[in-house]
Amino acid sequence: MRARPTASLSVDPALFDPLTEGERADALRVLTEDRRLATMAKVARYRVVAVEPLVLKPPHDLFGRRVARVVAYDYASDRCVDALIDLDAGLVANLQINEGQPMLGRDEEGQAVAVALADDRVKRELGLSDEPLAAMHYWSRRDIELSSSRRSAAVLFGQPGARPTLVAVVDLVDSQVTEVVPAEQW
Amino acid sequence: MVAMSNSIEHADWKIHWKVTESAGLIIYLASYKNRRVMWEGSLPYVTVDHQRQVLSIDEESGGEAHGPFWSPLGVRNLVGAIRRSDFRGGFELAADFCVGQGGPFRYTQLWRFHKDGRMAPWLVIHGPGLHDSHTYHPHWRFDFDIDGASDDALEHFEGGRWTRVAEEGWLPYTGESAENATVWRQIDFGTGAEVAIRPHHWEDAELFAVRYHDGEWPPFSPRASTAGQSFPASYTGDESIDGEDVCLWYVAHVHHDAAFPFTAGPWIKCGF
Repeated sequence: MRARPTASLSVDPALFDPLTEGERADALRVLTEDRRLATMAKVARYRVVAVEPLVLKPPHDLFGRRVARVVAYDYASDRCVDALIDLDAGLVANLQINEGQPMLGRDEEGQAVAVALADDRVKRELGLSDEPLAAMHYWSRRDIELSSSRRSAAVLFGQPGARPTLVAVVDLVDSQVTEVVPAEQW
Repeated sequence: MVAMSNSIEHADWKIHWKVTESAGLIIYLASYKNRRVMWEGSLPYVTVDHQRQVLSIDEESGGEAHGPFWSPLGVRNLVGAIRRSDFRGGFELAADFCVGQGGPFRYTQLWRFHKDGRMAPWLVIHGPGLHDSHTYHPHWRFDFDIDGASDDALEHFEGGRWTRVAEEGWLPYTGESAENATVWRQIDFGTGAEVAIRPHHWEDAELFAVRYHDGEWPPFSPRASTAGQSFPASYTGDESIDGEDVCLWYVAHVHHDAAFPFTAGPWIKCGF
């Protein structure tokens, strides 16, 4: 019988703790000061999706260090920015810029609702007591639709506690409603 | 009881928990009888697909008029506090999530731990959804580190016997299972310890096995790219997983025509 690997048996659980406000701010500051993201930071059309702690396993170099994972979406380049920030050292330990479509950040959810509420077609279709219920990350499977290739949200309208009555698809890149569908026909 | 501490030691288990922005109620550094079982277990996504309620003869999209949508189960959708309850022979954590204000997608995430070594990562789906023709796809991610991260093997029950899985891939539940209803099991070479996974009979479960890499972390979305496959399918390639650190994705498919609320998710049993 082989010896039991023991490296992962001694891990400080505090490394998994949620980031403090200061750690989150630190992570974002380190990221936006990285030269590779200078254009993104200068143009400032990015939205932060999530900032969370990440604990890497041994034998990774970052094992045992306080690490934040920052995910942002840069609308200027239509790219996802996925970075690991070594908070102990105050530097970007890993940076990926890719075509991934991360979940919507809270700001993006709010933006989708605002765009939908301002749309004339949506206004016409809404009942008196309908209100926005949820904004969800959405993509179409049909190539001909904008939402198959662009960052989009589905905003659900209706009365709280009841089934929605209307769905509005919002293209977040150009802040426009691209589709309005009665919920029962979705 | 409202859970305050994020460390629980009870019924031969020691676990830690937290609520994230993106992956629900996460359990991490879980041990059973002082032996590490899991580095981290989470529920990164629940996507929802819709099918047309009335199909026309010339329908080309297979009944799906639109693609899926989803919102992460996380702090933004958490309703109330995390609840801890002790029951005869174990304890459980529960968290309620509602997507949006009074939204149509409501869930209760459960993690249950039994003194006999069973663990139940479940999701109660309450509905009601947009309309009756839709399907929920909860995706659990299990990073089992049985007695440590490496030296693991995965076996799949098929053809009447356990078969070693050599490479990454897709391992669906076909209705065939071992006597104890388990379909997959991850075994530590060094000690012979194992965790066995028993799917829910009515949720068309499938398992994706992926080799863990240093520095590879779970995605923040089921959508790998605008043109690519969704996670976790896009993670699986042809790398060897035999004797390596293995990461498993358990995906359930729950159709709304099932009676609701529906409790999805597997049973997981520690064998040591």
